[in-house]
Amino acid sequence: MMGKFTRGACALAALSLLAACGNDRSQQSASPLGILGQVASQAIAERNAEPAAAPRSPSDIAAEALSVNPGPLILVGLESMGTTQAMAMTGQNGDMRTYMTPNEQALILRNGMLSGTRGLGNDLSVAEAAQSAALIRAGRSGQAQRTMRYYTGDGLERPLPMTCTIGPGPNAGVMVESCEGLGASFQNNYMVSGGQITVSRQWIGPALGYVTIQTLRP
Amino acid sequence: MPLKSPLTRRLLASVLPVSMLLGIGSGAALSNPLIGQNMNSYGLPGGIDTPTAEMLPDGTLGATLSYSDLARRNTVVFQALPRLTVALRYARVNTDPEQGGDRRGYVWDRSFDLRYQFLDEDENGWRPAMAVGLQDMMGTGIFSAEYIVATKTITPRLRVSAGLGWGRLATTGDIGSTFGSRPAPDDGLGGKPNYKEWFRGDVAPFVSATWQATDRLNVTAEYSGDNYACETGLTEDCRRREWRSDGDELKNKLNFGFTYRMGQHYQLGGYLLGGKQAGLQFSVAMNPRDAAYPSGLESGPAPVRPRPAPSADPEGWSGAWASDPTAQPAIQKALGDALAKEGQTLESMALSANRAEVRIRNTRHIQQAEAIGRTARLMTRALPPSVETLVITSSEDGLPTSSVTLRRSDVERLENTEAGQIANAATLTDANPRPGDLVYTPGLYPNFRWALQPYFSSSLFDPDDPFRYEIGAEARLRYEITPGLLISGTVRQRVLGTTKQEGPSGMSPEDYLKDGRDIDPRTGVPRVRSDSRMYAGNKSPTIPELTLNWYAKPSEAVYTRATVGLLERTYGGVSGEVLWYPVNSPLAIGAEINHVKKRDFRNAFEFRDYEVTTGHVSAYYELGNGFLAQIDAGKYLAGDVGATVTISREFANGWQLGAWVTKTDMSDSDFGEGSYDKGVNISIPLAWGTGDPSLRRVGGSIRSLSRDGGSRVRVGGRLYETVRDSHSGTLYQGWGKFWR
Repeated sequence: MMGKFTRGACALAALSLLAACGNDRSQQSASPLGILGQVASQAIAERNAEPAAAPRSPSDIAAEALSVNPGPLILVGLESMGTTQAMAMTGQNGDMRTYMTPNEQALILRNGMLSGTRGLGNDLSVAEAAQSAALIRAGRSGQAQRTMRYYTGDGLERPLPMTCTIGPGPNAGVMVESCEGLGASFQNNYMVSGGQITVSRQWIGPALGYVTIQTLRP
Repeated sequence: MPLKSPLTRRLLASVLPVSMLLGIGSGAALSNPLIGQNMNSYGLPGGIDTPTAEMLPDGTLGATLSYSDLARRNTVVFQALPRLTVALRYARVNTDPEQGGDRRGYVWDRSFDLRYQFLDEDENGWRPAMAVGLQDMMGTGIFSAEYIVATKTITPRLRVSAGLGWGRLATTGDIGSTFGSRPAPDDGLGGKPNYKEWFRGDVAPFVSATWQATDRLNVTAEYSGDNYACETGLTEDCRRREWRSDGDELKNKLNFGFTYRMGQHYQLGGYLLGGKQAGLQFSVAMNPRDAAYPSGLESGPAPVRPRPAPSADPEGWSGAWASDPTAQPAIQKALGDALAKEGQTLESMALSANRAEVRIRNTRHIQQAEAIGRTARLMTRALPPSVETLVITSSEDGLPTSSVTLRRSDVERLENTEAGQIANAATLTDANPRPGDLVYTPGLYPNFRWALQPYFSSSLFDPDDPFRYEIGAEARLRYEITPGLLISGTVRQRVLGTTKQEGPSGMSPEDYLKDGRDIDPRTGVPRVRSDSRMYAGNKSPTIPELTLNWYAKPSEAVYTRATVGLLERTYGGVSGEVLWYPVNSPLAIGAEINHVKKRDFRNAFEFRDYEVTTGHVSAYYELGNGFLAQIDAGKYLAGDVGATVTISREFANGWQLGAWVTKTDMSDSDFGEGSYDKGVNISIPLAWGTGDPSLRRVGGSIRSLSRDGGSRVRVGGRLYETVRDSHSGTLYQGWGKFWR
């Protein structure tokens, strides 16, 4: 019995070496074994991964990005993942800007207001926050409606409507937007100078939480 | 545009229940069905052996293994509608040959359940949720029972259910009877609804209470009228002699149990039946809405590049560039390279001063709209400013299916807005089969693709050996000569496994080969599937399929396929198909005709004597909300004539679950056990589980035994499945990912 099992295990190992040969990923049928193999190789890859380099300070990251990239740059901290990255502008369409990391995860801003994310797994498809944006950039208090739309697991884009109150915060120059809807709530902070949002802390969604965005080069 | 209003309705998905977004169990919204967390030993929400009125979250697919000395039940459950639960069970019940039970000492029994919640709980008042259910409603019915049950949430942690049960739930403790006495169980071929028994005979009450002790631990107590009479040898209460066994008798009618939730998906439980018999169970449940990475992990798309002002690029805006013969090849090369990085193949392109059409083959995204959206953005980056009309035609196996026409200014204006807006600005039409000005991308054909990978195949439901498997290596080859004309094949080499060559009806392979007639002597029915094990256990290389396929599109809404070669493991020959399917139609109609010969059991290129012509007319109809109906009527492999009805539910993320039945003019007794062919299909995209974009899927079918009636040739690449991802129903269902 033991001998048989061992032989089986060897054969299995040989087979998983075969996995993913070929030039046609799309054609490879996903047999349960193939998936097991993938999961295993991912787990192995994680184990063998280099220990992460000592975390660099945000100012180092910013300085390096500014010296390497001549275009508009932002410094982005994703609180739930504890990561800070510089992102470079890869496209501008009217007042909408797309910023990307080197591995093509994207943040979409409209005049500094977070409008969407791409490639983060729990992306915000679009935030419709024109009313809030007008109040915040003008430094005025008031009420606003905003709609956050998300990609959901069943493959749809679904709205999360929210009602927001906007007003100056305790610190000078900081506008606070408090929103609530369907059981979710968040509070965004924006530092506005000259009608532009220069530093902000904004909510992406329930899964990803807050992101801090700082303009390095407008 | 008449399409707009239903389209808009479809796209304006219901407001997001935040509970779903936040990952909290059940929502507080009114008029939702009552959701259960505890699986009972029958694999449905419930107490231990008794049912409750609870449902699972819509679309949930789950499985429960529940083992005690008295029974082993393996159940797959699916919440087909918000208020309708269906379950399939494969259970092993002990029997005692000395008491007249089955000679093996156990029987394996398939069973099928339905539960419908017809009344919602009033959370603020007294009204409980109520459900009616049929347990093991088909065939021999070892677990047959019917019930009406009410469930009420007493406190947030305590739920109580009470109901009336018939059949197995009223084996003891009856309080009367309804509609006369219950007829004896069907001892024939099984497989049919045993409606003559439903809600007849003795009726007994049952009660259960579940208390949520901690966030993970639930404890349950119940009073059940099922005393396992057959399993414990209580002859007077056992409904069939053949089911009797000699387990230890239960002491009372009280059962106690617990369940412990591990993470979002798993549940471990234990129970004690009647103070005597202990059992263990394990459940897993997945919901298509609970993806680990709902938006996928694929990188962000290249953003739209808006055009410069006309004064900044007068030449580009004038369209004069179009007369330069080097313009199109350069643009096509650049766009093709960019698309290739996105997993799309640019097959061909037509370009004029103000219009561009690209034909793309999507090899990465389950939702075709995502591929189209990314292509549209890349077009804004590659095309000179005078091009205002963008046409993106989807190509499937060289067949141009649908064309999405967009105004470039709309793409610029609506980038990263709600997906419904660009849907309303786009036009979806049938792809022109032969536009004159398309230029093929050089170097794409002939195209040879191959993959070498392990394979795993299993066969279930053999009473002597319910699980057999085979593992080996497989090479898949695909040689595309021109678009639509390709050779595809698979070669397999077994490495290890428990499958082996066997003859039908317990014959040895040698005896069966010697007989050589391939006919069931009892019924005279040709053995078209029942000898399928003769093909199993081959230790030499096998060629499961090797075909030459030709796809064509003779007119805007008509597709054709011709396939020649080794069509499947058991049959080789010729298959022809035609499909009428306008892109904006929920209805498609097709016809297929096959002339096939049965393949040799061992030698890849030899055939046996059985030769037959089969054919079907098929109608496919999208019922809305992701439901799809299909009817195929015609002549089947054994020469029997009849029809197959399939109902499927599909989610925008690519989950597909379906069930089918086939009834032909073959008599139930000629068909044999199960009376007629039926089964379920499950297909789940790998991308849903991993977040990495891919068209790969996992799944398979669970069918009743391989029988000769109602069986069709399994030809690969049938037209409807091939073209439908880019037709309006599926395309718009997944349109939400256009800007992803």
